[in-house]
Amino acid sequence: MKLEGGKISSSHLTFLMIGFMIGSSLIFIPGQTAGHDAWLAILAGLAEGLVFAVIYTTLAMRFAGKTLVQFNDIVYGPYLGKAISIAYLWYFFHLASLVLRSFGDFFTAIIFPETPMIVFIVLTALICATAVRNGLEVITRCGLILVVTMSLAVLTTTILLFKDMKLTNFLPVFDIPLKDFIKASHSAATFPFGETVAFLMVICFLENVKFAKSSAIKALIITGLLLVMASVRSIGVLGVTAPIHTYPSFQAVRLINIGNILTRLEIIVVGNLLAMGFLKISVLYYGTVLGTAQLLKLRSYLPLVLPIGAMLVSFSILQFDSVIENIFFTFEIYPYYVIPFQIGLPLLSLIIAIVRGLPKD
Amino acid sequence: MPKRRKILFKLIIFIIFILSIAGCWNRRELDTLAIVFGVGIDKAKKPGNIEITAQVIKPGEMKSPQGGSGGGGEKPYWNLTSSGKTIFSAVREFTHKSNRKLYFPHNEIIIFSEDIAKEGIRKYMDFFIRDPEIRRLVWVLVAKGNASEVLETKAILEKVPARNIAQLIEARAATSQASAVRLQEFLTRLMSKTTAPIASVIEITREKKEKIARLIGTAVFKDDKLVGYLNKSETRGLLWVIGEVKSGIIVVKSPGGNGEVSLEIICASSKIIPEIKDNNIHIRVEITEEGNLGEQTSAEDLTSLPAWTVLERRQSEAIHNEVRRALKKAQELNTDIFAFGEAVHRKYPELWKDIENRWDEYFPNIEVTINVNAKLRRSGMTTKPPKPE
Repeated sequence: MKLEGGKISSSHLTFLMIGFMIGSSLIFIPGQTAGHDAWLAILAGLAEGLVFAVIYTTLAMRFAGKTLVQFNDIVYGPYLGKAISIAYLWYFFHLASLVLRSFGDFFTAIIFPETPMIVFIVLTALICATAVRNGLEVITRCGLILVVTMSLAVLTTTILLFKDMKLTNFLPVFDIPLKDFIKASHSAATFPFGETVAFLMVICFLENVKFAKSSAIKALIITGLLLVMASVRSIGVLGVTAPIHTYPSFQAVRLINIGNILTRLEIIVVGNLLAMGFLKISVLYYGTVLGTAQLLKLRSYLPLVLPIGAMLVSFSILQFDSVIENIFFTFEIYPYYVIPFQIGLPLLSLIIAIVRGLPKD
Repeated sequence: MPKRRKILFKLIIFIIFILSIAGCWNRRELDTLAIVFGVGIDKAKKPGNIEITAQVIKPGEMKSPQGGSGGGGEKPYWNLTSSGKTIFSAVREFTHKSNRKLYFPHNEIIIFSEDIAKEGIRKYMDFFIRDPEIRRLVWVLVAKGNASEVLETKAILEKVPARNIAQLIEARAATSQASAVRLQEFLTRLMSKTTAPIASVIEITREKKEKIARLIGTAVFKDDKLVGYLNKSETRGLLWVIGEVKSGIIVVKSPGGNGEVSLEIICASSKIIPEIKDNNIHIRVEITEEGNLGEQTSAEDLTSLPAWTVLERRQSEAIHNEVRRALKKAQELNTDIFAFGEAVHRKYPELWKDIENRWDEYFPNIEVTINVNAKLRRSGMTTKPPKPE
């Protein structure tokens, strides 16, 4: 029984992971609560995230060729293992719906105020469903193209904003209490770095699983640098006004003005969000669908794609009544909600696997 | 058969996507928009209400007049006014008068009237930063008098007064004697705990019965209330310190005593360095400037080395005096327009926590040293004045 026939190379995995982590974090820059020290919070979060990534990849390499759902059964036994797998599938599903929702909120708030949000959510979900139906290889190839374009766009907008940046906005360095800093850096670690736990559903399709660790670490570092660049761009340009904005990156890019000719470039940010969000939702969506199929021992995951997509759409709309609820959840609850999924359970699995010498051949 | 069904299915999907992805919900055609070029905010007659004037362009009248037809002399713009308790409600009120909905992304200026600015403008700022249609690159101005009147001034070289005013702001770089403040900069200062917001000042002068807009000086706010104005030379003094002087003319006495010399500013930069001396905060301002000799009304030869040195020294003194004047005015008004507070914050973050809330007590008495390093580089197309040897 083989649900996924595709194979991905290690460099493709790196690109897909970058796209996944950048996802919606280019507009909701992580570590925002640290004020003008957000870039430091991202770097600290990256350090924490690297620990996560090492745990995930060690697990994936130990159980080579097995997805999270499959090795949960080996580690925790058939019953508890299934329960934990269901919890993970819920987490992937929920995360995908959160990203979809952020999409909807962004488009209705900024670009199309009168269009109902469901239009964007349904369209995005449909595109992602197509990608998921076509399998992992298609998603990764999209990743390669989209991530390269996105990186160039981030670089260009940053260069175009150089003249508007004030380095003094970053001084004094480390101007917040340690407690708040740790809170901000932890929140940067959980969003986006720790979310790579979803790749436990993907890494097993790597051509050569030996390279899993190095490509994951590469991906995390590149993402960290891109996010630092985006956050430097926002803080440097917006300064003290950065925290009051719903979408600081978007606002910063709006300020690009090169001789009254190169202006109104904010659509670049929207394009980035669309492309990276697509990758993130697709990977999570794929993980949910594949995991469910493996859990239910189906012969193909294709029949699950559309039903789960419909659930994603309705859940993403129903979960919050307003953008304020979304922001409250993202900043106040999410960093704690994900601790078991991102660090607790993977670490426990790894310890059990080492102690019991799993997997037994 | 299944193959044909598959093709049909794909076709339907394509059609759905083509129709929906173009985003036809919020479709707005150019001929349904009233494009706003400038906004003025005044007090309404009814207490507590505000009156908004929006300058909307009439695209039909914008094209250059054809010889002969005359065009009927219609103005190419329309000033609409409406009032309400809040800006947004007043803006929506416009739809009672205008068949087209106002469209703000091309707005270039926001003018506050003097009375409204004196009462505080934070409450009116929120709309302009929250609404996605309004851009942060618009200019913020204070009108001496009514904002609606400023939008009715005569624009000779431009068709629309708001456009004219926006270009005046760009042109002021030639003198550096008027401030130019974009909404983003204004907002940054408004959100700072100590730095005082500033804005450009626009006033109306009458020339041959025509009302002409004149941009000059700086409006100074304390928190969000207008407290005073800087005149031409005080404004340049401020701009020297915050490093915004682009160009301008400095007129000094000729070294020999007879006549004047005009020196053109080519480039300038500044540094604000806070220091602690004997438990007192002390600010050192370093200004570097480069100028050219632009004109002389005296008959002496200024290109000799001694005279050149004297000129350089006089140039420094002139800059020094302008900065002193601005500083004196700011300390009288007790408004930290130079962002000295932020400079102290950056250099002494620990100390700052103690004095942050008492900065108002420190600022009027703060000691400031001004070091000007002014260079004179070139003398133009001639060296000596035109006179017989």
